[in-house]
Amino acid sequence: MTSYALFLGCTIPARQPHYELAARKALTKLGIELIDLEGMTCCAPPPLQSIDLETSLAIAAYNICLAEEADLNIVTLCTGCFESLAIANRLLKEKPQLREKVNKILANAGKEFKGAKEVRHYLQVLMNDVGLNSLKQNVVKPLDKLKVAAFSGCHLLRPSELLRFDDPERPRIFDTLIEALGAKSIPYKNKLRCCGGLLRGYADDIALAIARDKIVNAHNAGADCISTLCPFCFLTLDLGQMQIKTTYKEEYNMPIIHYAELLSLSLGVEPKELALDFHKVKLDKVLEKIG
Amino acid sequence: MEEVKVGVFLSDCGGQIAKILDFEALTNFVKAIPGVALVARGSEFWRGEGLKTIVDAVRTKKINRVVVAESVPKISEVAIVKAVEEAGLNPYLVEVINLKDHCAWPHKDTPQEATEKAKAMLLAAVEKAKLQEPIDKAEFPAVKSVLVIGGGLAGMQAAEDLADMGFQVYLIEKEPFLGGLAAKAVRFFPTDDCAICIQSPTTDLKTVAQTSRKCVYRSGFSEIPNLNVLTNAKVVKVEGGPGNFHVTVERKPRYVNEKKCVACDLCTSVCPVEVPDEYNAKLTKRKAIYINKPLVYPPAYAIDAKACKFHECAKCVEVCPTKAIELNQKPEQVTLNVGSIIVATGFREYDPSVIKEYHYGEYPDVITHLELARMLDAFGPTGGVPVKPSNLKPAKRIVFVQCVGSRDRRWNPYCSSICCMISLKHATMIKEAFPDADVTICYIDIRTTGREHEYYYERAREMGVKFVKGRPSEIIHDPATNTLVVEVEDELLRRLLELEADLVVLATAMVPSEDTKELAQILGLELDQDGFFKEYNAKLRPTETKRRGIFICGGAVFPKDAPTTSLHAHSAAIKAAKFLMNGKIVKDLKVAVVNQDYCGNCQFCPVTCPYGAITLEPKGDGHFAAKVSELICEGCGVCVGTCPVGAIELRHLKPSQITAQIKALLSVNGTSKPLVLAFSCSECGHAAVDSSGMAMMSYPANVRVLRVPCTGVIQVQHILEAFKAGAQGVMVIGCKPDGCHYEVGSQKAKQKVELAKALLGACGIEPERLEMFNLVFIEGDKFAEAAKTMTEKVERLGLLQLA
Amino acid sequence: MVEEKPLDFTKEITSRLGGETITHCYQCGTCASTCPVARTAEDRYNPRQIIRLALLGQREEVLKGDAIWLCASCYSCQERCPQKVEVTDVIYALRNMAIREGNIPAIYMEFAAGLLSEGRIVSISKFLEKKRADYGLPPLKPAGIEALKKILSATGFDKIMFKKEGTPK
Repeated sequence: MTSYALFLGCTIPARQPHYELAARKALTKLGIELIDLEGMTCCAPPPLQSIDLETSLAIAAYNICLAEEADLNIVTLCTGCFESLAIANRLLKEKPQLREKVNKILANAGKEFKGAKEVRHYLQVLMNDVGLNSLKQNVVKPLDKLKVAAFSGCHLLRPSELLRFDDPERPRIFDTLIEALGAKSIPYKNKLRCCGGLLRGYADDIALAIARDKIVNAHNAGADCISTLCPFCFLTLDLGQMQIKTTYKEEYNMPIIHYAELLSLSLGVEPKELALDFHKVKLDKVLEKIG
Repeated sequence: MEEVKVGVFLSDCGGQIAKILDFEALTNFVKAIPGVALVARGSEFWRGEGLKTIVDAVRTKKINRVVVAESVPKISEVAIVKAVEEAGLNPYLVEVINLKDHCAWPHKDTPQEATEKAKAMLLAAVEKAKLQEPIDKAEFPAVKSVLVIGGGLAGMQAAEDLADMGFQVYLIEKEPFLGGLAAKAVRFFPTDDCAICIQSPTTDLKTVAQTSRKCVYRSGFSEIPNLNVLTNAKVVKVEGGPGNFHVTVERKPRYVNEKKCVACDLCTSVCPVEVPDEYNAKLTKRKAIYINKPLVYPPAYAIDAKACKFHECAKCVEVCPTKAIELNQKPEQVTLNVGSIIVATGFREYDPSVIKEYHYGEYPDVITHLELARMLDAFGPTGGVPVKPSNLKPAKRIVFVQCVGSRDRRWNPYCSSICCMISLKHATMIKEAFPDADVTICYIDIRTTGREHEYYYERAREMGVKFVKGRPSEIIHDPATNTLVVEVEDELLRRLLELEADLVVLATAMVPSEDTKELAQILGLELDQDGFFKEYNAKLRPTETKRRGIFICGGAVFPKDAPTTSLHAHSAAIKAAKFLMNGKIVKDLKVAVVNQDYCGNCQFCPVTCPYGAITLEPKGDGHFAAKVSELICEGCGVCVGTCPVGAIELRHLKPSQITAQIKALLSVNGTSKPLVLAFSCSECGHAAVDSSGMAMMSYPANVRVLRVPCTGVIQVQHILEAFKAGAQGVMVIGCKPDGCHYEVGSQKAKQKVELAKALLGACGIEPERLEMFNLVFIEGDKFAEAAKTMTEKVERLGLLQLA
Repeated sequence: MVEEKPLDFTKEITSRLGGETITHCYQCGTCASTCPVARTAEDRYNPRQIIRLALLGQREEVLKGDAIWLCASCYSCQERCPQKVEVTDVIYALRNMAIREGNIPAIYMEFAAGLLSEGRIVSISKFLEKKRADYGLPPLKPAGIEALKKILSATGFDKIMFKKEGTPK
C-alpha cells in the first residue's frame, strides 16, 4: 500500500469539494493511502509569488518540511499547488545558497528543509504507483463513447525545466490516462494554451475572452466535455460559461469535468456519490454517454 | 667540457643610457665576475661595427659565451644570434638583456639604484650563460604528401593547391560523390553564381584554357597530377607524427568499378528497389544504384548497400555493358604515409525536430534551406518550382523563419553567420522566377556583414520580399485548408500576426558535420565549446591546431560563406606546403628532456602537455618513463612545472640556471627598499615589462625580473627559493588565463601560486608577499603600478626573517 | 523620456529573486507572440514591451502601470524563450517591486489578508464545512497559522503588504 501526504491547498477544500471527493474515492479504490497532515497552509501560488517570491518559497518549503517530518512524499490534486511545491522542492534541492537563505527563514518556525522527499501530482501517482495496466483492469465502466477535450492547464507542464512532468510541447501523460478509461482524447485548437483563470478579479474581461476561446475551440472540435486538473481552470470554464452567456450571449453547454471525477465514474462510483451538483454546467449528457 | 669564456657587450645607446647608468662602474663590475673573458662598451652591438666586435671575438675564439646588453628587443637578439651562428658559435650560447627598457628608463629618477640593479641583471645573465650548453638542431623527415579529409569546397581547393605545388595529395570523402554542400546549394551569395563553380585555375600558365574558373565537371579535376581521390572513405587510425603520419583509411565498397562505369544509366532502369532520395530532400525516389545528377564527380554510379538486394537480384550486373558492377567488393583498408593532414569536413544543417513548436518532421510543408534549394534547382525534383511537399502543388505564400536553433541558449547559442544571406538568396531566387509569390522573412536581426552583402539585402527589398521583425512562437497547421499559420509578433508595428503560408522554410543552425567528434578523437584534435574543430589562434595561427602538422579549414572550423571558405582552404594549403616543402623539418632542440632514472611514471606530464608531446615508453625493466617528442615539443616548460620529482628539465632553462639567476638578481640591492623578484613569462608578461619601460613609466629599482619561457615552468620550490635568497616579495607575471601562448601555462602557474601561498601561510609567512598578475603588452602601466604596490605592501609587512 | 539611469533599474531587477535573467533578452518577440493575454488584449499587454521598458530604465511606467498585473502566469513565454529569460519570474520580481512601493491591486490585498488570518488565501465558509461533512469528507485539519505567522514576520511580508494602498493606473 503506497502512502502519500495529501496536499489539498486552498481552493479545492474551500470551493470544489467535488474534486476532493472524487479524488479520495478513486485513489483509495486504486490502493493509494492518503494521509492528511496537520499544519499545512496555502502552497503560495502565483498570487502570493506576485507579492513576494522569497516568502512564497519559504511557505512552500514549510509545507514540504511537514511531509519530510512524517516521512511521506506529497501528492497534490491542484496543479497550481503542484507547481508551487515541486518548483520549491527542486530549487532548494539544487541551489545550496538559496536553500541556506530559506532555511534561515524556516528556523523561525522551527523547521529545516532537507530535500528528502518528492512532490508529485496525482497523475504521476496513477502512472507510476498504480500503473496503467492496473488502472485499466480496475475500470468497470469504460467511457468509450466519450470524446474528451483534455486540458491539463499550464502548471502541470510549465516551466518544464523545473517541473519535468511531461514533454511541454507534446504531452502524452494526461491523454494516455484519459484513454486508459476508454474515452477518446481529441485534438483541438490551442490545446495547451492557458484558460486565463489567474486574471479573474483583476481583468475579468480579458479572462473571460480567453476562457471563451477555449470553450469555442473544444466545441468546434466536437468535444463532449472538457476535462480539467486545476480548480481555477474548472472555475473559469464552468462558472465562466454562465458569464459568457451574459456577456457574449452565447451558450455552449460544454460540461467541465475534473479528471478525478471521470476516473471515479469509470471505476464504478455512482454519480450520486460524487457531489456533481457543484457543477454549474450540468453533466447530464456526459452521464448519458457513460451509461 | 671546455673552459667557459664569457664576452659581455654593453650598449649605451649612443651614450643616452650612460647618462643614467654608471657604465664605468658596470664595466668594472662585470670584469670582476669569474668566467668573464672580455668586456666591451659601445653605442650599439647588434649591427655595424658593434656586431663586428662580437663576431671577431667569437671567430678568434676569445669567447664561447656571449652576453649583450642591447636595447631593441627581439630584433637585436635575432640579428646577434644569426651573426654569432655564422661565426661558428652555437646560437643558444647568446644571452641578450635590455638595460634600457628594464632598468635605465623606468628608474631614471634614481640613477644610482638603477646602476646597482643593472649590476644584478648583468650578473644573472652571465651566470645563466655560463651554465648554458650548446643546443643542436635535428632533422626530421617530412614526407611531401598531404591527406585532405573532406571533398567539399574547402577540401577540393586545398587539395588542388597542394597537388599543383607538386605534393602528392590524397583527398578522401565519406560520400560516394564529391561536392559536399556546394553540390546541393545551387547558387552562392552574393554573386549568385553557380555553387558548383569552385575549381580555381591552376598556375600552369602554359594551357590558357585552364586559367579561368570552372565547374567541377569541366575542370578536369580527376586528371590533376598528384591528386588521388578516394570516395566512400573515412579515416580510422592515425599513427606516427608530424612530417610522417601513417593514416589508415577505410573504404566502403562502391560496388561499381569507377574505371569501367560509363554512366549510361541502364542499371537504374532495371533496378527494382526504390528508396527516398536523400540528395533531393526525399521529394523524389531513387534506385539502389544511383548517381547524383547532373554534375558530379566521380562520374560513376554507386550502390546503396542498405537498399540493394545484391545477389538476390543482380539485374544491373546483367545489363551493364562494361561489366562495371562488382557486387562482391569488400571494404578495404589502405595506409597512407603523409607529412601533413588537412581537415575540411565542413558543416551540416541542425535537425530542427527538437524545436517542437515548429513541427519540423511532423508537418511536411515545414522544410529547411537545403530542402528548398533542391526544389529551386532546375535539375532538381520539382524542376525549379517551390512546392508544398504535402501535395506537390506550387507554393505561392512562403515564409522564412530565421535563427532556428541558432542564437538559442536551449540548442546552439551562437549565430550561424550565413543563414540571413541564404534566406535572402532563396527569397530573391523565388521572386525572380515567380514575381507574384508572397515571400516573407521573419527575423530577429538581419546580418549582412560581408562585402556586397548589404546590396543583396537592398535588392531583396526592391524585389518585394517582406520582412517581419519578430521570432515566430509557433507554426500551426489548419487541416481544413492544408495551410500553415505562423504566429509571430511584428515588433515594429507592435502587432500580433498570424501569417498564412503554403510553405515554411526554417533557417536552421549550422553545426559541425556528423562524425566530427569521432574524427577529433582519432586525430587528437580539440573541439571548441560549440563542437567545431578548434583553431589554435584565429588571428595569430589560423588553420593551425595544437597538433603540429594537422590543419583545419573551411566550415569545419565555423560556418562560413564560399569566398571565406576558399580563403581559408588556400591558407591551410600554404601552411601545409610551408611545413613540408623542404622534404625535411629542421628543428632546434630547444625542448624538454626527461631524466629517465628519476621519472616515477606518475603520468602528470603527458596529461598536462598542451601539445601531446609526451608519451610513456617502456624502460626495458618493466617500468615506463616519460619521453618527450623532440619534434612536437614547443619548449614551454609546463611539464617541468608539473613534475613532482624534477625529472624533466628544459635544455634552455635548467634548474641550475634558475637558481643562479635568482641568486644573482637578489645579490645586490642598492635601494632602501625590500627586494622583490618577479618571474615573468617570455610572452605577454614580459611584453608588459617591456612596454612599461618603453613608455618610461616609473617603478622602483628593487623589483627584479627573471624571464622564463612560460609561467607554467614555475614550481613552488622556485618561489620558496626566491624568498630564501633574499626576496621579500615575489611576483609572477603571465599571460591572461585564456590567452596563454602555450594554452595552459598561466592557469597552471596560478595553481602553483595558490599552493605556495598556502605553504607560506603554514610557515607563518604572510601569503600576500606572493601575487600573480596576468598582463598583456598594452598594460605596461599596470605592471608599473603592480611593482609599486607590491613594494609598498612588502615594506608595510616588514622585514622577513627566515631562520 | 528617460527618467532614471537605465542601469540602476536593471541592476535592481537582476539582484532580485526572479529577475536575474532579464538582461539576456534580445527582443525577439517570441514571448509576445505566444502569450495568450497578448493575443487577446494586444493593446493592454505585451511582455516583450514590458522587458524593453524595464531595460530602458522606465521605472515609473513599469511599476505604476497596469501591464505587469495582466500576466496570467501560464509560463508559455518562459518555456519558449530562446535566451532562457525567465519572463514570468521577471514579472513576479517587478510585481514584488511594485508592491513594495505601494502599488497593490485590491485583490492581492484580499489574498494577503486571508493568508495572514487563516493561513489560506481562500476562506472556508460554515456552509461549505457542512457540505463537506454531508458528503463524508473528513474535516479539514487546522492550518499551521502560528508557524506561518513566524515565517511571514521573518520575511517582512506583513510590512510589505501594509504600506499605502494604491491602485495601478
